Amino acid sequence: MPKILLVEDNEMNRDMLSRRLQKRGYEVSMAMDGRQGVEMARAGGFDLILMDMSLPEIDGWEATRQLRAVPETRTVPIIGLTAHAMSGHREKALEAGCNDYDTKPVELPRLLAKIETLLGGPP
Amino acid sequence: MTSSPRSGRPRSARKTHRNGSAHRQAALLRLTTGIAASTSEADVYRSMVEGLHDEALGYNFLGAFLVDETGDRVLQASVGWPDAPYRFRAHPGQGLSEQVLKDGQLRYTADVTRAVGYVPSLAKGSEVDVPLRVDGVVIGVLVVESSEPNAFGAEDFEILTAAANQASIAIGRARLLDEERRRVAEHKALLDTMADLSSDLELPRVLQAVLNRAVTLLGVTGGEVAIYEEQTKQLVVVASQNIGKDSTGTRLNVGEGAMGHTARTREPLIIPSYHEWLGRSGKYADVMVHSVMGAPLLIGRRLVGAIATVHSDPNRLFGPEDLRLLTMFAPQAAIAIENARLYAAAQRQKQYFEELVSNSPVAIVTLDTSHQVVSCNPAFESLFGYTQGEAIGRNLDELISTEATRSEAVEYTRQALDRAIHGIARRRRQDGTPVDVEVLGVPVIVEGERVGLMGLYHDVTELLAARREAEAANSAKSQFLANVSHELRTPLNAIIGYSEMVQEEVVELGQPELAADLTKIQSAGRHLLALINDILDLSKIEAGKMDLYLETFEIGTLAQEVATTVRPLVEKNANRLLLDLPKQPLTMHADLTKVRQMLLNLLSNACKFTERGTITLTLRREHEATSQDDVVVISVSDTGIGMNANQMGRLFEAFAQAEASTTSKYGGTGLGLAITKRFSHMMGGDVTVESQPGQGSTFTVRLPVTVVGDAGRATQAATGRPAAAQQLASPPR
Repeated sequence: MPKILLVEDNEMNRDMLSRRLQKRGYEVSMAMDGRQGVEMARAGGFDLILMDMSLPEIDGWEATRQLRAVPETRTVPIIGLTAHAMSGHREKALEAGCNDYDTKPVELPRLLAKIETLLGGPP
Repeated sequence: MTSSPRSGRPRSARKTHRNGSAHRQAALLRLTTGIAASTSEADVYRSMVEGLHDEALGYNFLGAFLVDETGDRVLQASVGWPDAPYRFRAHPGQGLSEQVLKDGQLRYTADVTRAVGYVPSLAKGSEVDVPLRVDGVVIGVLVVESSEPNAFGAEDFEILTAAANQASIAIGRARLLDEERRRVAEHKALLDTMADLSSDLELPRVLQAVLNRAVTLLGVTGGEVAIYEEQTKQLVVVASQNIGKDSTGTRLNVGEGAMGHTARTREPLIIPSYHEWLGRSGKYADVMVHSVMGAPLLIGRRLVGAIATVHSDPNRLFGPEDLRLLTMFAPQAAIAIENARLYAAAQRQKQYFEELVSNSPVAIVTLDTSHQVVSCNPAFESLFGYTQGEAIGRNLDELISTEATRSEAVEYTRQALDRAIHGIARRRRQDGTPVDVEVLGVPVIVEGERVGLMGLYHDVTELLAARREAEAANSAKSQFLANVSHELRTPLNAIIGYSEMVQEEVVELGQPELAADLTKIQSAGRHLLALINDILDLSKIEAGKMDLYLETFEIGTLAQEVATTVRPLVEKNANRLLLDLPKQPLTMHADLTKVRQMLLNLLSNACKFTERGTITLTLRREHEATSQDDVVVISVSDTGIGMNANQMGRLFEAFAQAEASTTSKYGGTGLGLAITKRFSHMMGGDVTVESQPGQGSTFTVRLPVTVVGDAGRATQAATGRPAAAQQLASPPR
């Protein structure tokens, strides 16, 4: 079962997305801020990271940069998530090292398509 | 002879014998010298008769006559006739000397008592009449009488002829000299006239001076001057002198009266007897005028006015000389009058503008090229607190700039000498208090020469304060909207997300009848979210916090991606979406996210307002003459309900869906087009619409193929003020 790390500070978003992903066959771990996200990711074992960009402590861009800076997480696929398709968020996310990017509220089919693309197929 | 005066009592008759030859030679020499020394014609006559009167010569009764234009012989000088009236006249038919005028021969009458036509002046005696000739023409006669008959002999004839000839030469010379003097005097008078007339520019005085000069120059009784009024085609008498009434104000049609006549013919005119002249005007029935000479006042062939001069003395006549003088005088008078009129018109114009400036609510100041105040108006005085007297001659920038704005003010002043500047700046009143002003500076150029500049100041202190307040309020509003939007979005995400989740689960839970309701919740939530996002975008744009992120992408691919996204919307109203894309990839450098959003806005709009129709998205690359770069033309056409001109007018304003009712029927935030327009401007492009009710609509976005980073600002500058003015436009804080 593919393992996904969801880094998201909003409890309800975390709850919704984790439940929906689990229903579709993913194992989901959760971090509540950027710092925790980086720690958990470096601890290893994740196939993909869903990274909210607006996070307390360390924001998603910085967290992504940190993960890209170390060998153990350099190649883990990261999908950036932001609240709104604001110009710049997407570019900044890609610049920081995200492989892809999506907006919240997530449209699950679209997000799932992106996840499957990065993981090479459905779970 | 002659014509001597009444009988006269000769002092003595001519001596029969002359004294010695030496005395006579001396006397003749004196005679010759006297004549030669004469400087005027009158002198010549006097020298001649007085020289011949010498005792050594023994001629006692002598008279020199000159023929005048009437044919009368007029006595010029005499000796021996003490009672002879001044300028005694012998009329034709009187006296013996007349014969000389006819044949030009010396005539001797040995016994006057026997002669026919003798006008007795002596009871008995003899008379010699000698012609006086100038240029071969007999102009007069020298009459020599003796109270004795047979008193003259050949020797006398020789002496008298010699004297007369010498006198004739001297007269000719004196006449030439006189002529010369007269001309010199005339020219001087005319020069004086010119100087006189041109030194004054006050029209009434010039007109009076013209008339006075003419009267003096021509030696006439009086006259009048009229100016020609273009509007009424009439002559108006503006100066009148000594013609028996004050004719000032009299109006004459062209052709009426003497001046009207000259005005019509454009030629001068002499009327020998005005009251018998058929062309006289009834308006002049009561004048005391005998003869009139008039001339038009012309500049080239243009009529400026007319002048008339009059003699009230029936004995004075106008001759060719007078006409010549008037003809010389008239053009100068015309020029003087015209100058005065032009000056008066210029004065009126000047006064008009001075009135404007003086009553202007805007403070106006003029400076010379060294930045010193030349003049200022009352509004300037009240704005800055300096009186004109205090300001004139002072350096403006030292007067009204603050320490902080001095160098900026000097720079503006310097620039304004070259070109118009416009800006907002802070200046200082006399009492030291600051004042925010809108400044307009323009160079003052007179006949190609830069003479200084004009500055206009408008107090914008209150305006600026209001603007700052408005800006602060607007900024607060944008911030508030941004905050609220963010705060609204978080719970909204939960509503949308959980309703979606529940929707997925109701079927599994065996309650599919709830699915439709959940879809409504979800779609309402997404609409609310779109609204919030648009508001956030707009407020960011208006707060100037919306940035461009430029990248290079292929817009055809983007168009296809967007087409996929909007497919549900297209199908909702049973529409077809056609993509008309170029065959070659169309790569552009722009803000991809914004271009995508614009495409989405236009396409979803088209879908909303079209039913069972066709929506066409066309992409083209076009060359545009006005810009160096090619443009990408994105056009979205539909076959929907269309709009009238009124609806199109407010289309791109925020919340301007044509009617409130359409919002409820067609949905949408009403912000999509406003955002589309602002995005296109930010990228240096534009969006336009063509539509007719029932005929569908076509929205066209034009963007540079390569958007430049500060396109947003460049666009503002192009539609607003020039960059320099803009730079001035921000108020000093």
